[in-house]
Amino acid sequence: MKKTIKGPLLKKAPRYKLEERIHQQAKELKAQRGQIKQGADREKLGADREKHAQEEIHIQAKAMESTTDGIFIIDAQKTDFPIIYANPSFFNLTGYSKSEVIGKNYFSLYGVDANLPISEEIKQTLAQGKSFHGEILRFKKNGEKYWSLLRMAPVRDNQGGITHYVGIKTDHTLMKERDSEIEEQREELLHVTRVGKLAEFVSSLAHEISQPLTAILSYAQAGQRILKDRESQPQLQEIMRNIINDDQRATEVIRRLRELLKKNKPIFEPLNINTLIHDTVTLIMTHITSKDKVVNFELDSDLPMILGDRIQLQQVLLNLISNSLEAMEESPDSRDLLIRSFLKDAKTIVVQVKDSGCGIPAENMKKLFSHFFTSKPDGLGMGLSISRSIVEAHGGHLEVKNNNPGRGATFYFTIPVDGKDPL
Amino acid sequence: MPTKIYVVDDDESVCCALKVLLTTFDFDVKTFNSAESFFENVAGNTPGCLLLDIHMPGMDGWETQKRILNSGSKRPVIFISAEGKNDASDRALKVGAVGFLQKPVNGQTLVDLINTTSKN
Repeated sequence: MKKTIKGPLLKKAPRYKLEERIHQQAKELKAQRGQIKQGADREKLGADREKHAQEEIHIQAKAMESTTDGIFIIDAQKTDFPIIYANPSFFNLTGYSKSEVIGKNYFSLYGVDANLPISEEIKQTLAQGKSFHGEILRFKKNGEKYWSLLRMAPVRDNQGGITHYVGIKTDHTLMKERDSEIEEQREELLHVTRVGKLAEFVSSLAHEISQPLTAILSYAQAGQRILKDRESQPQLQEIMRNIINDDQRATEVIRRLRELLKKNKPIFEPLNINTLIHDTVTLIMTHITSKDKVVNFELDSDLPMILGDRIQLQQVLLNLISNSLEAMEESPDSRDLLIRSFLKDAKTIVVQVKDSGCGIPAENMKKLFSHFFTSKPDGLGMGLSISRSIVEAHGGHLEVKNNNPGRGATFYFTIPVDGKDPL
Repeated sequence: MPTKIYVVDDDESVCCALKVLLTTFDFDVKTFNSAESFFENVAGNTPGCLLLDIHMPGMDGWETQKRILNSGSKRPVIFISAEGKNDASDRALKVGAVGFLQKPVNGQTLVDLINTTSKN
């Protein structure tokens, strides 16, 4: 039985073994095939990756060459800051050719400039492993000045060691010139405004003082005439003469003050009111932003030209905008300032400056435009009265109204369109 | 009969002093603190020269002069103002005033102007 039992078993055994072997072989074959396939895949993958990486490098290189920023790389492991790469814009920007740049000390590129404290500052910042960011006045090879916005950062290897420095420099000259131009214009306007305020102040003061001086002079001259026939009062006559002389002396002081601060005659020219609004806002944009306020515009782009004095109208706009900013100063929630321009009728343009501040108390409404009226601790009370007289000299009106309760105030002025305009 | 002079000035002190001064020159002087009160009390056809301030609350000097002209009255008007001379004197003559004097006014100058005006 054992045999019979064994037979099939024995018989079966090789069959089993064979199957197993075949199975095993098939497995191995499969595995080999797999290995071969994997190898092929890996090979393909490697090639793909390499291709991809090459493409990436190619694009990066192209990008570096195409950008208008000057890009350069310095070998950080050498002490003399040699430039190992610079893109074409770098050569354009500095005016130096490739051979004058590559391998040369970055800081020596700027000649006499090289020992400037700024170079030391850059070196120290980099030595601390930090990035440098700054605006520097540089000179091109031909001596031409330019403003360079420079950013330099350390490049680290996998271990964290600094191997290179990468720098980007941007020509900021135009931006810088524009900034200083705006600054100059702003200063000029503020100066004109200050002088205007002073002139108006003196003129008001002169007016107020002239009234009692008139009375004093008239009384004294009357007294002089009454005393003329009375020879018994020589001392009183002299007193009258002295009063008259001193009155005239005071009058002369006022006359000279008036002469000194004589108002400039306005120069009327055709103006686009929207351009004027934009120009004025540009001048105080930094101020507006620093106060965390936002200016919104709703300007009708089809407005006809007006005839006006640019500086004077800018003064008005500046005054209205500054007032609005001050009205919103107290409340951080009120941020929005809206400037609108539109045609009221065929002959009249309206400009509105709408704030979202505290509004104007009813009792102040009437006095708002009079001389010396101010609600500010350090105000002269001249701004709005000057603005109104400027607007009126242009044939318009300056008015104010409160918005819905608690929604601030709107100052608005009208100005006639230029009659010569075809519209 | 003494020549009649009307003074319109919102400054009480100026009115009073001009009255005292002009009285010493034998004028018959009446003063008013506003143009409104002048029109209420003086008819357009009564003779007399008007010394008129410019800067006044309510109706100002320019409006007053305009109203006199429009009413057809021949009343001579002399502006007397503390305004800057350059600003106002041209305009005063343009709107038909016979003269402009800047405050403070010299008595004799004023009287000479009044006399010339009255003779004409």
